[in-house]
Amino acid sequence: MEAENCIELVSINKSYSKAKNRLDVLRDFNLTIKQGEFIALMGPSGLGKSTLLHLMGGLDKPTSGQVVINEENIESLSERQLTSWRAENIGFIFQSHHLLPVISAQANVELPLSLTPLNAKQRKQHAKVALELVGMANRATHLPKELSGGQEQRVAIARAIATDPKILLCDEPTGNLDRKTANEILSLLTTLNKDFGKTIVMVTHDLKAADYATRVINLEQYIDENQATEDIVSAGEKL
Amino acid sequence: MNMLFLVWRNSLRKKSRFLLTTLSVTVAFFLFTALSAVNHALNVNVSSNNQYRLMTNHKVSITRSLPVNYQQKIAVLDGVDNVSYASWFGGYFQNESNQLAMMAVEHQHYFKLFDEYLIAAEQLQQWQNTRTGVIIGNSLAEEFGWQVGDKIPLSSSIWMNKEGLFSWEFVVSGIYHTKDSSVDDQRIFFQHAYFDEARAYAGYTVSWLSTVINHTADIDAVAKSIDVLFANANAATRTMTEQVFIKEQAQQFVDMAMVIKVIMAAVFFTLLLIVCNTMLQTNRERLNESAMMKALGFSSAVLILQVYLESLWLLLLGAASGSLIALLLMSQISLQFADFLPGIAIASTHYLEVLAITFSAAAICTVFPAFSIKRLSISKTLGGIT
Repeated sequence: MEAENCIELVSINKSYSKAKNRLDVLRDFNLTIKQGEFIALMGPSGLGKSTLLHLMGGLDKPTSGQVVINEENIESLSERQLTSWRAENIGFIFQSHHLLPVISAQANVELPLSLTPLNAKQRKQHAKVALELVGMANRATHLPKELSGGQEQRVAIARAIATDPKILLCDEPTGNLDRKTANEILSLLTTLNKDFGKTIVMVTHDLKAADYATRVINLEQYIDENQATEDIVSAGEKL
Repeated sequence: MNMLFLVWRNSLRKKSRFLLTTLSVTVAFFLFTALSAVNHALNVNVSSNNQYRLMTNHKVSITRSLPVNYQQKIAVLDGVDNVSYASWFGGYFQNESNQLAMMAVEHQHYFKLFDEYLIAAEQLQQWQNTRTGVIIGNSLAEEFGWQVGDKIPLSSSIWMNKEGLFSWEFVVSGIYHTKDSSVDDQRIFFQHAYFDEARAYAGYTVSWLSTVINHTADIDAVAKSIDVLFANANAATRTMTEQVFIKEQAQQFVDMAMVIKVIMAAVFFTLLLIVCNTMLQTNRERLNESAMMKALGFSSAVLILQVYLESLWLLLLGAASGSLIALLLMSQISLQFADFLPGIAIASTHYLEVLAITFSAAAICTVFPAFSIKRLSISKTLGGIT
């Protein structure tokens, strides 16, 4: 049985305006990602990989087009609705971990859980499980500055999965890490994908990182191919 | 982990900045509380000792004298219980840096009017019978080691005696204590009769008269009747309650209440600038974290509330410490200034004002960071177009 569509980007246009200049980053872009896929989104800088990730995560809105996540059209949601939607559905992992430096690893992981109806005891329990999953249970009480880069990223992953979202969006999660640590993080993401059924979209420049994905999308190539198909269809319509 | 814990941890992130800002707030609230206490003295009726006492002095200025016979004329007015008088001596001991609050007073009735000075009956009797006798405050006696029977040479910066000297000879006849700590215990009183006899000029005139009215009389009506009585005399009078007199003395150089209000406004404007700047700086430094929290699902309202609570915590801490220091200091200062400006005290409503100011200032300091948080673009802050 074929997996259901998890993320659908339909006819997406995205432009940025700066002063009098307009930059079209995405033009009539379409992409479908199935439930349980681990996508590596690759390509040269400036092509819009992070923009795509932000659109999927409701961090940004398309200039036009539809973003459908688990059958919910999110580009029509208000800012307030998007905020709570993100808390329920998406886990973010960034290149820089963005942990709050003044609270412990455990407290950082508990942070998104404070938006759920869980009580304090349940939040602690969930955070503990998430930290165990990423192998950081023994560092729960440490402040971020007391952790290595890899450990910080593990805590960031624990924070992303603490609320058990179906989708994990990773923006160069291994960009700041050495090879060995990067491999550990990627293995962890693979586990989350295979064993816990998370749909993962990962932006990366690292070919070795892409090896861990179930599907690699080279954005430059993808856009060219789709654009060519579109041109043929347009030509056919004209005929 | 709850929001208050996060606010607490965030506030201590830059400890030196937190400390310096809190100190600024402390100083501002110290000034506010201290000045409010002074303002309180200028605006509130205070001592129960003097609520039935009137002061009568020359209509033109307190530096001008009144004839001593005004005492008898006032004494027969309706509502008057007792009248006495006094003159400022401008005394000092040994050198002018040892200034003394020294007055010549009418010796038969003065201490009946001013019963806040507690004097042993035999010492009072002794003083009334000794022409050159003085009654001194116990604190002053301790300071200079003076005892009953001691002869003490005191000088005046105003009055020369008939020997052509500014140095006068006195003998300690009694030492007074006070009913409570708000009454000055460093004064010196001597007989006006001796003063009139011995001074080289302006004999049988007084600086002011004090009148005690009976408790059923209308104090304003009695004051008016005194002034009407002398309206056409050479020395017209101006009569007021002792409280008003004291306030006028304090305000004769400058409108202190207005100065206090201006200072308070300046202090709070500065306070707002300091705390607003701190919160803006703090917010700027944490934009990435704010963007991340928004990405995690925290609404702008929650992040703004955090900024508000952090401002409030900082302001409350400063307000509490500033007010506490002022409270401790003003209790001492109120004793020192008990005569010059009685009623220096922090009104209980002042603490409500402090709370209102604190909460409002926190709200004002949150305005700019709130705009910044509201406009914060997660995608622009956390990552570009790549």
